[in-house]
Amino acid sequence: MNALIEVLIYPISSFILISAFYLQAQEFVRSMVIGQMIQSALLGFLSFVIGFAESDYDFFILGVLIVVLRAFLVTYMLERRVPREKIHLHEKKVDVAFTFLVNLILVVTAVFLIYFLIFRSIHLVPDIGSSTIFIFPLTLFFQGLFLIASRKTTFAQIIGYVEEENALVLFAMFLLPIPLIIEASVFLDVLALVVVSSIVVIEKFAHEKMEDLVGLSHRHFLRCLSFSFRLRRTLPIASRESPLLLWAGD
Amino acid sequence: MSQYLFVVFLSPLFTGIFSKFKSRIESKKGPSIFQPYYDIFKLFRKETLIPEGSGILFRYVPYAAFGVYSLISLIVPVLIPVPVFFTASADFLGGAILFSLAAFLKMSAAMNSGSNFSAMGTSRIISFNFLAEGALITVFFGVSLITATNNPYTTHSFLSTNLLQNFSLVHIFSTLAFFMLFLYETGKIPLQSEGLPELGMIDSGLNFEYSGKLLAINRWTSHMKQYLLGSIFLNVFFVPWGLFSTYPLFLLDFPVMFLKWMLLIFIVIVIETTLAKLRLFKVLDYLATAFTFSVLFLIFSEVIV
Repeated sequence: MNALIEVLIYPISSFILISAFYLQAQEFVRSMVIGQMIQSALLGFLSFVIGFAESDYDFFILGVLIVVLRAFLVTYMLERRVPREKIHLHEKKVDVAFTFLVNLILVVTAVFLIYFLIFRSIHLVPDIGSSTIFIFPLTLFFQGLFLIASRKTTFAQIIGYVEEENALVLFAMFLLPIPLIIEASVFLDVLALVVVSSIVVIEKFAHEKMEDLVGLSHRHFLRCLSFSFRLRRTLPIASRESPLLLWAGD
Repeated sequence: MSQYLFVVFLSPLFTGIFSKFKSRIESKKGPSIFQPYYDIFKLFRKETLIPEGSGILFRYVPYAAFGVYSLISLIVPVLIPVPVFFTASADFLGGAILFSLAAFLKMSAAMNSGSNFSAMGTSRIISFNFLAEGALITVFFGVSLITATNNPYTTHSFLSTNLLQNFSLVHIFSTLAFFMLFLYETGKIPLQSEGLPELGMIDSGLNFEYSGKLLAINRWTSHMKQYLLGSIFLNVFFVPWGLFSTYPLFLLDFPVMFLKWMLLIFIVIVIETTLAKLRLFKVLDYLATAFTFSVLFLIFSEVIV
């Protein structure tokens, strides 16, 4: 088993992390969706490998679930939302060198702090090796978080979320015995989120800065707010429908 | 001594073979495999012009850089896996520092030429090299962690006798990162290309003002650098097997090294003919990727025991 871990499980986990870096570096939405598919497929393959090593059928069911739901269904739903006429849809100004270095700093500090403070004391079932293997899901989780934080497009943020869920599944795989019912609920959760998000993608493709608030100091902002309230009271009903006024009123 | 002579006299041959094979794949006749020798001989016979505003560094650094690469060839296992004259004087990090020293000298000389083009090339190299040097040192750290030593000969011996260690995470990703660095340092196609030099030139900017004998030495130095980096990649990272240290088996090292180089040339040609050249500012992304891999998996390997 140890040799199998050395030869297969660690490298596959590493490739999952590399796929996360690949996602981080991509500008094009379609490439990100394909990257997410590869990551999920690798996760499914890892589940089969662990299932084979442990002779546990639960892992095979999990692997099938991952491949069908994540690698296929989620990818299919996301791809359908990439507009056909905009096949080169992409997010501008993705500074790969900068994001990689910040990502590296975040991962190294966060993961190792958490690992050494919390997870180091967890002892796994002996077959899977030491608790150090938790570093892979932790790293993947923080990469998903960083992807969401560093991007503006809704697509990238959904994929970041799916990556986080992949991290949770990876984490659960290394914790034996596997709670399959929880895994199934995580999958349904992701599926529901992707369905909901694919509608959000149509409504709001990217999350830009709120231009109206840029450059306002706190005092100035409050003055604007009180002014808009007063204005709202004095204006006729039809002219109150301005989005800024509605937002200020809420 | 045979190792040193091999590096000095046969390093241009590998550049020639590479150019010939690449041309054949591109359906061109291509230059002779001895073309780098012809070029060097031709340049040695030509007049050397020294720019008016240049200084002493411009004139003497090519000799110093040649000396530095000669020293490196007497430190690292590039042909016969037996420690040679200066092996005890430096380890892997020492070798990395010597590579950096040679790069620094060449950049200083280029700046000393007083040419704007050379200054542009130097500024490009400096803005990229901070990641390349970091990755190079991290890669050597990674190899040191596997073998618990920083001696390149011990590392080579350890890796060639322990097969499983070649498949450890840190070794795989160190190999990958070092290969990426090899492509960068030797100016291969995803990073640099021939033609339109002012648009994509990085290393070629350093030789802009050189001519005659000094340019010949600089070219020769580049061939040596390519051979040294490639041989370190082959003998320490990629295929550490097949070299012998005892008489008369060590005579087999020459053809074995030649075959290893053919493998490396084949891989590089496949990459060069399939990938497009990156835009200049994407080089930083490429190097950041190499640096990230080397650092992340170095730390992983330290934690995962």
